Amino acid sequence: MAPDTHQYEEEEYSAALSGAALLRLLRLTLNYRGYLTGYLVGVIGMVLAEGAHIYLGKRILDEGVLAGDLGEVKYLLWLWAGVAVLLAGCVALFIFCAGSVGQAMNYDLRKTMFGRLQELSLAYYDRTPVGWIMARATSDSRRVSELVSFGFLDMFWGTMSILVFLGFMTAINWRLALVMLAVVPVMVGSALLFQKHILGNWRDVRRLNSRITGHYAESIHGVRVTKSLGREDSNLAEFAELATGMYRSSFRAAWLSAAFLPVVQVLAAVAVALIIQVGGLQFQTGMITLGGIQAFIQYIFWMLFPIQEMARVYAQLQQAVASAERIFSLIDSLPEVQDQPGAMEEHSLRGTIEFDAVDFAYEPDNPILQGFNLRVEEGETIALVGPTGAGKSTVVNLLCRFYEPQDGSIRINGQDLRGMTLHALHSRIGMVLQSPYLFSGSVMDNLRYGRLDATDAEVWYAAELAGASDFIDTFEEGYDTDVGEGGSLLSAGQKQLISLARAILARPDIFIMDEATSSVDTMTEARIQQGMEQLLETTTSFVIAHRLSTIRNADRILVIKDGGIAEMGSHQELIRAGGYYHDLYRRQFRDEKSRTADPFFGSRLVHA
Amino acid sequence: MMAFLTGALRGQDLNLHAVRERSRVRSLWRFVHGYRALYLAALLLLAVAALARSSFAWVIRTFTDDVLLPGNYDRIPLMGLYFLGLAAAAGLLTFLGGRLAAQTAEGVIRRLRVFLYDHLQHLPFAYHDRMQTGDLIQRSSSDVEEVRRLFAEHLMGLSRIVSISSMAFVAMWQLSPRLALVSAIVIPISVSVSFGFWSYLARIYDLFQDQEARLSSLLQENIYGARVVRAFAREQYEIAKFERENAILLNRGRNVVRFHNVFWPSMDLVLASQMVGSTLFGAWMAIDGQISTGTYVAFTGLLGLMVGPVRHLGRIFAFITQSLVSYDRVLAIINEDREPLDAGLLDMPQELAGDIRFEDVSFVYPEGTQDRPGESTLPGVLHGISFHAEPGQVIAILGPTGSGKTSMMNLLPRFYTYTGGRILLDGRELTEYPRRQLRRHIGVVQQEPFLFSRSIRENITYGTFRKVSEAEIVAAAEAANIHESILDMPRGYDTVVGEQGVTLSGGQRQRVAIARTILKDPRILILDDATSAVDTSTEKAIREALRNLMRNRTTFVIAHRISSIASADRILVLDQGRIVQTGTHEELVAQAGTYSDVFRLQTSIEAELQADIQSTLEAQPA
Repeated sequence: MAPDTHQYEEEEYSAALSGAALLRLLRLTLNYRGYLTGYLVGVIGMVLAEGAHIYLGKRILDEGVLAGDLGEVKYLLWLWAGVAVLLAGCVALFIFCAGSVGQAMNYDLRKTMFGRLQELSLAYYDRTPVGWIMARATSDSRRVSELVSFGFLDMFWGTMSILVFLGFMTAINWRLALVMLAVVPVMVGSALLFQKHILGNWRDVRRLNSRITGHYAESIHGVRVTKSLGREDSNLAEFAELATGMYRSSFRAAWLSAAFLPVVQVLAAVAVALIIQVGGLQFQTGMITLGGIQAFIQYIFWMLFPIQEMARVYAQLQQAVASAERIFSLIDSLPEVQDQPGAMEEHSLRGTIEFDAVDFAYEPDNPILQGFNLRVEEGETIALVGPTGAGKSTVVNLLCRFYEPQDGSIRINGQDLRGMTLHALHSRIGMVLQSPYLFSGSVMDNLRYGRLDATDAEVWYAAELAGASDFIDTFEEGYDTDVGEGGSLLSAGQKQLISLARAILARPDIFIMDEATSSVDTMTEARIQQGMEQLLETTTSFVIAHRLSTIRNADRILVIKDGGIAEMGSHQELIRAGGYYHDLYRRQFRDEKSRTADPFFGSRLVHA
Repeated sequence: MMAFLTGALRGQDLNLHAVRERSRVRSLWRFVHGYRALYLAALLLLAVAALARSSFAWVIRTFTDDVLLPGNYDRIPLMGLYFLGLAAAAGLLTFLGGRLAAQTAEGVIRRLRVFLYDHLQHLPFAYHDRMQTGDLIQRSSSDVEEVRRLFAEHLMGLSRIVSISSMAFVAMWQLSPRLALVSAIVIPISVSVSFGFWSYLARIYDLFQDQEARLSSLLQENIYGARVVRAFAREQYEIAKFERENAILLNRGRNVVRFHNVFWPSMDLVLASQMVGSTLFGAWMAIDGQISTGTYVAFTGLLGLMVGPVRHLGRIFAFITQSLVSYDRVLAIINEDREPLDAGLLDMPQELAGDIRFEDVSFVYPEGTQDRPGESTLPGVLHGISFHAEPGQVIAILGPTGSGKTSMMNLLPRFYTYTGGRILLDGRELTEYPRRQLRRHIGVVQQEPFLFSRSIRENITYGTFRKVSEAEIVAAAEAANIHESILDMPRGYDTVVGEQGVTLSGGQRQRVAIARTILKDPRILILDDATSAVDTSTEKAIREALRNLMRNRTTFVIAHRISSIASADRILVLDQGRIVQTGTHEELVAQAGTYSDVFRLQTSIEAELQADIQSTLEAQPA
């Protein structure tokens, strides 16, 4: 997964800050009103308590220490301790609410995205890389939640602290506070400006970093070629060049970042020096106390942290809003194929199937089917053959309504597919694919995916019909055997048999096998045919296959070529016709025979 | 050996072999060689900066005791200047320290990156067989980044906390040793509380991350299995399944929040009690006349500086632990031995004849190679392999999958080392030849060759180490029957292959690899299953390209079909790691044995096909 995801991170570099996405994100945040209220209360309490602490420190100095009154010191410290308890309570509330908003948002985003992904048509998956989708639901979702919980909210906290501290300062001495009012915007402004400059540099670093990772990935994948061509030295020289570029950019970005804090601190020191100067003058006239000056200095130091945080959030903002934009683009994707208003929940798909002048293309300028017509009677078995990419799979994909034809219509028993719900359609069609996908879990879990309420006995029977029971029984844990992620612990042939059994279990009205048993050895293949004889007899079936025995047994063979049906008829008829099928048959015959007759293959290369 | 390196890296010691150390501390020490003084200076600068910051206290005290209270108002501007001066010094020192630390961190990481890159391409086949590519990529990207952060952030953060707290303590000690001691009580408490909390957090955070990974793989499965989900109309079921795991993740995330929820307020309370105690004590001393008012004011400023930062120690140590785990994962790669490319004969002949003799060669894969997940067939082992290939001969090797054909051929470029017997090349044992030189004379073409994501031109010249003219490249492409196809591509020879460019078909990839090998011009050629064409439409073009390539070279052809090997000078039939038959096609057909069985079966098929078609045609229409 790693090399897959990193390349989709690059989009952020060009993206300008999108106001619309930011607004939408803010609106989303408003969904968590309960937490937000708690958060506001917590932050305001916290900021007030911090301000009060410094203020109490001033009074301890003025009214206690300078006045020589230890009793007053003790009294004020009791107050101080009380405020500290309050502060701790507010911190707890603030962390709880901010953290909960983040977690809840992350959870909701994932949930919404997953739900949307279940609705999107296969066409969406055809054009969207898996890595892209994964990055949206993992790193982007996390980044957005972090922005909301510890970004937006910290922004509020920072602003509040600065405002509240300025308020306390005004209460102590408004003239001195005016001086601060002039200085603070300069501090905040320069901090943000500086941060923006640093940001640009880090962006370069990230871009270079993904190139470095790309180089590593390619070098590791291609290590055998590198060795046999003896390219080690030139590769190293190239990589060293890249690593040096990376060194330059990241060193620059790093030392610029190292300058950030000192710059802000020096700015603060200027403010303190001003307080010393102006405050000192005022002290002479008794307009401010010693404690007052001390409090001012402490307020300035306490403002540093919020300013720093706001600069940090600012740095995250652009990246996170870009993430949010990409998440929204996923959530907003509309499924190409949707249930139409008033679509019927059909309970049977038995009957005649008709393709009526169907046009279809995956990409606009590359038509696959043009004016395609076909009529299939109930119970017929249709074999589809033809060159790769000619549209064999397209015919069955359209029948499943995975894609929508651009023109023409498809009807089952006279009823247009578009008048049925997708759920009704899909739950009555059984489909077995050449590279079937199994979900991690046990063999039993995967079989039962076909019909969730099937009894164990029904599952076993389906496995037997599909010729899968033999190898399952050899497993130590039988039907409880774990199949691994994507079924990786099983061979290709075993996966095909399980997926076949899964489809049989679903008791479909229409059965589709797309190269379903291509990795199964001949012996097993023959047994499957026996087992499925009855099923294929009564169920309308479409079989895409290259295995001759499968094709010959079909009621009708269709050669799909050049956007339509080139040849159609029984095996005998098509051999007589001497066209594409005739050639295909001869080629395939040689291939299959040499495969089965080859003593090497006969003895050891048994897949399942 | 690194002499060809250009620019900033020339003259730098890039060798990191010295970090192969059992003790991690010693290993890290060697890891930063060349940067030790720099890094030490960075840490020292931070400490001095902290000292400057603690000296604020002195300014404050003087300001209070000697300026404000006695009414020496004319010295006020001086105080402001002192303060600015100290702040500027502190800022400058912090910046310089940060800059040196950045130089160290980026420097050692560049060295690590380059070394690791080179190391990976020098590790033997056996290592790459054993490791998963995803894991190696992860280690060389995320783990290396984590090591960078150790030097750039975590260690600097640690020393910042330590120097600020300790300098504040020193300054406070100057004010009043008793006050300093009383105020330091909280430090050991908060440090240990912080440690306890963070090691606990590490555990609940691990749970959170595990769940995050589980959710990710669930999502990935759902995407890969989208067609199955649709085909069985299981969307609601999938949503419910995802929802269960998503809710668990939410809960575990909340546990992490809960931790922070308890930790920070309790640390606040611990610190607050120290503040209350210390302030009371300081105020009493001031009122009692034991310390001046200025000392009291300076002390209250230092108090927060001293006790505040230490609560972050636990977090920093958690980060450092994490970085060290990453360091170990990177070190595990470095600890593997390279295959020496240049060990062997000093007087390597310029030209090879290409005479190869196997004498009773046996081979077993190194321990661990077979455990590679996802590999269904065990790699073949070899027993008692003997044969002789004269210069320019074509030797075909026929055998089923797993019989050891590829294993046998992998011994020739010394990708693996045979474990018994010997192999002679031009009369000298193979192990005498340095690998690098040897591999220059051997070309390998595979059925599905690996191309690099760069232009086609660069891919064709990839194995050539001299200036190649455009005419030579075109000639090679023409001989490989790919020139026309290249011209049809959007940018001709500059078309970039792979993810960011054009996807080539299997047959095209194979012919680019053939052109690459033609240009490399090896004495010895290995065609690994390259004759069974990927797509039938290009089969003829590939056969022709291969014929051009094989001219005048000692060639080994690996195959598992008879069709294309009948013209070989010698055919070796391999089964279960042994040569079971050897001879020309004519000889082998005449012998009883596996080869003639295969051959007879293949010829009988034609007759069978004729009969089948005939019977179909003669049958009555159904």
